[in-house]
Formats: sequence, C-alpha cells, structure tokens
Amino acid sequence: MTEKVKVRIDGEVIAATAGQTILEVARTNNKYIPALCYMEGLSTVGACRLCMVEVSGVARLLPACTTPVQEGLAVATTSPQLESYRKMALELLFAERNHVCAVCVSSGHCELQTLAQEHGVTSVRYPYSYPRLPVDTTHPRFVLDHNRCVLCSRCVRTCAEVEGAHVWDLAGRGVGSRLVSELQRPWGEATSCTSCGKCVQACPTGAMAEKGFGVEEMTKRRAAVSRLTSMREGE
Amino acid sequence: MTTGVVTALPRVDDQDLTDRIIGDHAGRPGALLGILEKLQDANRYKYLPMETLEYVAMRTGIPQAQVYSVATFFTLFNLDPQGVHTVAICRGTACHTRGSRALLERVKLQLGVGATVDAAGKVTMTTPDRRFTIRTVACFGQCALAPVVEVDHAIRGHVKEQVLIREVETLRKGGTR
Repeated sequence: MTEKVKVRIDGEVIAATAGQTILEVARTNNKYIPALCYMEGLSTVGACRLCMVEVSGVARLLPACTTPVQEGLAVATTSPQLESYRKMALELLFAERNHVCAVCVSSGHCELQTLAQEHGVTSVRYPYSYPRLPVDTTHPRFVLDHNRCVLCSRCVRTCAEVEGAHVWDLAGRGVGSRLVSELQRPWGEATSCTSCGKCVQACPTGAMAEKGFGVEEMTKRRAAVSRLTSMREGE
Repeated sequence: MTTGVVTALPRVDDQDLTDRIIGDHAGRPGALLGILEKLQDANRYKYLPMETLEYVAMRTGIPQAQVYSVATFFTLFNLDPQGVHTVAICRGTACHTRGSRALLERVKLQLGVGATVDAAGKVTMTTPDRRFTIRTVACFGQCALAPVVEVDHAIRGHVKEQVLIREVETLRKGGTR
C-alpha cells in the first residue's frame, strides 16, 4: 500500500506516499510548519493548532499533523491569515497558564518560547488567567510544574507508546484540564512510573524538568571558597 | 499493557457485583465507559470511589491514568458521594437570561450549601447530610422552556423561584414529587 501521490507545498511539487500527513511530507522535504504537540515517533493528536495550513479548495484551515495527503493536494504553509491565527494560538497558550520565561528551567531551550520569538509574539492581547496551580516535587529526580504545561500531551503519549507505562493522562476538560499521574497520585508515589525520564525529554516547555536545574536551585557555595583561603592562612 | 504492581486488593463494595459488571464488558473496545456507568449506578451514593477506579484499572488492564481521565472528562461521573435528591439547574445562555443564576443562588441558600471543588476540579454542591446535591448543567436542550431545572430526573420548564422552593421543601420534608 505504498501508493505514490504528488502534492504541492507552497507551489513546489513534491512526491509523497499516500497516508503520510501533510506535516510529515513537509518536514521530510525541508518545508517548515510550526508545531508544538507533534513529535516524531508519537501518534498525532492535533492539540496545539499551530500546524494549521491552508488547503486549496477547503474553506477552513486544517491541521497539517493529522491531515493525510491526497493526489493533487495543494497546501500553503504561510499566509497572513495563518500567521495571525498562529500568533493568536500562541498568545492563548501564554494566557492560559503562568509562563514566566525569566525564572524557567527551560528558558532558551523552550519550544513555546522559540515559537513565540519566531512569530513575533511580544505581548499578549488576552487577559492572563493566572490559575493557581501546584508544583509536584515528589519524584526523587524530576519535577512537574503545572504552571508551565501547555497540555500538548507529548509526555502522555511518550509514556504510553514508547515506554509502555502510561503513567500520565489528561484529566478534566476545558480550562480545568490537568496532567495527572495515575489516579491523581503524586508523581513520586506512582507505582507504574519507571523513572525513565522520557516524558521529561519529550516536554516542549519547562513543565517537566530534572531536579537541580531550576533557577532557585542554582545556588552557589561561595563560603566554601572563603573557607579554603582561611584554612590556608595558617600554612 | 500493565499498570504496575498493585500491592493490595482495594476494598470495593459488593465485590461480586463489581466483578460481574467488569466481566460483562471486558475486552470490548470502549468497555470502560459502560463499566464506569454501571458501577456508579450500583453504588449507594451514586459515585465512583478511588478504590473502585483502582480496581477497574487492575481488572481490565486499562492504565489508571486513562481510567481517571475518562472518569473526570464526563460530567456524568461523580467522584464524590451524591445526595439522595438531585436538583440540576441549567446554566445555559437561554436559562441564564431568564434568571437561572438567581434560582441557583436561591436553592443554595435554602439548602445551606456552598460550592466545593472536588479532586478533579468539578464543582459539586452536596449538603453535609447527603440529602441533596445541587448541580449545574450546560444545557438541557429545552431552551424554549427556560429557565429549566431538573429535580430528581424530571425536567421542569419555566421554573419560578417560589415553585422551586416549594418543591425542594416538599422533598426535604420527606415527601415525593
């Protein structure tokens, strides 16, 4: 079932295999489509709405990560409409939780931050919702900060599909959605967690991080230096 | 797919019934919804205790997180004990414009309950004696009858404050609708 199809991405004719998604075809041909919830090797969910593209003949925008290619499909990956749409989606992600780059473990390595810079998001038009969210530090090696979670579910899929443990899932709905481990147990008490750390690697933001890298954790031991010199004074 | 080691068998009311319900559905795709619905219905206080969720996960092999995800996504499922009587007030747009907020506030005052948020973030209002549960509904689909209130699974339209108060009072005194 490897039927070859020809599609147009930004005017360029590209050979693809039927069943591939627009995003897969675009990425293998060095055509850039932004995405946050997509990760190679995982199933697709179409949650972040950043990979929206214009398909000729279709009135609405379609997510590239879940739309399979067809013969003769013509896709536009950028347009003023798409730009404003993506910018809005990013701003809404920022408004939804408490994203403070200045004190984040992932500042400089964050996909959300990078996307915001790419799309020129310098301010957020929407009122921040400032939800009161907990930080789970119960795991001996990792930490989960709900304030930085974008609900992309990459950790959920990584854990379920790659590690096979399925520790994580999304509970609740709408603005009340939260990432939960098992039956909303603290991460450190989750018996199915193998502590493999794949979820931490998959996280696009600083929501999941290794302990010891937080801004507040980077304390310095200057007293030790002073003590060394004071000890040497007697020599 | 396993969910790790379950160290102790959780205590579930009426083990036989629980096992039978799980057995009836086990293996079918989408079985979880049916199992949870039946189990909640069989529960005396019409809710799904954590022990039950844990037991379902263990018996079906469905990961605990997924069971919890389903149980918290659908408003049908309760994670807290429910009252004997249920008053569901519609908070949809049509009912809102016809004063459903006032109805809600009035009934809360009458029964003396404040809103509490359960573990999953759902707003539930149950009296401490578990006689009444007040809940809100997004829409009954009966907007022409706004404001709509459901009292013990019977839908009432064009509800006036005094009528609702009287009805709740009758139930409180032990009467039936």
